[in-house]
Amino acid sequence: MLSRMTPSTACRSGAQLALGGVLFGLAVAFMAPSARAQVASADVNTALFVEPSTRSGLTVINPSATVAVKPSNWLTIQGGYEADIVSGASESVKGGRLSNVDIVTSATHFSDTRNAFTGGFTITRASTHLSGSYTYGTEHDYRSNAFAVSAGTDFFQKNTQIELSYGRGFDKVCTTAFTASDSPSTRLALDNSQGCFTNDEKRASRDISLDNFQVGWTQTWTPVFATQMVLSAALQNGFLGNPYRSVVIASAGDQALENHPENRARGAIGLRGKYYVRGLQTALSAGVRLYRDTWDIFGQTYELDAERYMLPWLRVLVRARYYTQTGALFWSDDYTGGEPATGPRGQYWSGDRELSPLSSYLVGARALATREGRPGQRVLGLFLSFSGAVSFDLLKTNLRDFTLGGRAPDDTLAMLWSLGLRGEF
Amino acid sequence: MKHLEMHVVAKALGFLLGASLLAASAGCATVRPEQRAMLADPTMQFDEKAADRAALEHALDNREGSTGGGSVRGGGCGCN
Repeated sequence: MLSRMTPSTACRSGAQLALGGVLFGLAVAFMAPSARAQVASADVNTALFVEPSTRSGLTVINPSATVAVKPSNWLTIQGGYEADIVSGASESVKGGRLSNVDIVTSATHFSDTRNAFTGGFTITRASTHLSGSYTYGTEHDYRSNAFAVSAGTDFFQKNTQIELSYGRGFDKVCTTAFTASDSPSTRLALDNSQGCFTNDEKRASRDISLDNFQVGWTQTWTPVFATQMVLSAALQNGFLGNPYRSVVIASAGDQALENHPENRARGAIGLRGKYYVRGLQTALSAGVRLYRDTWDIFGQTYELDAERYMLPWLRVLVRARYYTQTGALFWSDDYTGGEPATGPRGQYWSGDRELSPLSSYLVGARALATREGRPGQRVLGLFLSFSGAVSFDLLKTNLRDFTLGGRAPDDTLAMLWSLGLRGEF
Repeated sequence: MKHLEMHVVAKALGFLLGASLLAASAGCATVRPEQRAMLADPTMQFDEKAADRAALEHALDNREGSTGGGSVRGGGCGCN
């Protein structure tokens, strides 16, 4: 639920949990050689997402650690931990241009932590591999269980690679205790997560099922040119709104819990190409992604990046991205005004700006340094290889039809810093 | 309604035909192992440095209404 900026009154010490996870991952990694693993690797990453605003704002710290060991040539076992430590403030009521409600002072402070644990394996035989994983995620108002399997192989002297994957999620979200027979216009939003997943009769747990399918085709065409096509499909069923958000649905100021359809089918196709320009000693990449779903959102993404070695051990990547989407069929900035463009569009209402028409620009860069050891001479006396990466991205969003009581939000500029370390043993 | 269905079916068939032709042509593209020096380089891998990319996509997923169609692992190595 962190994606929906949920408030929580009982903030757990997320930083402690995150640190514990990272230390646990490192401990396992360092113990790996004594477990007679032939090869082991450890990845530790931290990302910081900041979206400043004078009224609301959002900060997310995302530490993660992954450990992989290879007890034999054909088997890899992985384990990982990830956290989202979220704090900030958000408006709990959405009203539009005509809403006579003070939206701005409804911003409430919140903090919460999502913890996710993953375990999995990969079996590799000749040109084929099979992977499986399980992830458990928990936060005050959300539980998730997800299984994923994937298989891949290559053909035509390894010039063609095919990868199929399927994931299934069984999630639960906490809401107020309304029943199916209650009219959506009478349902209330949560004001905090107290009592969630307990016997509290004012709380209810609602299921969300998620199915994800993906097919990837990677093709090398020449010694310096390769392409990749990825087809994705997803089915979602259950409570798909934000249990904390109310929407003003009548000119008198009446509010009701956000009401989204219970089913959503999503599809996307991504096409990417990579070309190595010998003269520039640079790998260029271009990609386009088209997306469509049954809520009538049509999204287009265009990406470019370039990466080259500045030194034998240091490479730098720069990237740019443009994204645009239409709004959901039932999206309206204001549900009180009668006919579109300032009125309801059907039986649903939403305050989610991700469902409004928008576009965004992203620019970023990453530097990655790698140090390779030699036989009998490990890096820092421990690693076969060691690498560190640091990246920065700037995201500017243009909300074309989203206001908070007629005022344009000012939290549309986001910054993302990322730091990653990887060691192989 | 029928016209719309025919339109969708025609689009799907066109896509399948195009994909089949492309897939068939893939068999003609032969890059020998000794020609893969550039393709094997990390800069030419799709989904290389996945953790860095995952953090970015995690942020974007929470700011945009679309998802999917991202990179999968793969690239030009296959040297062994």
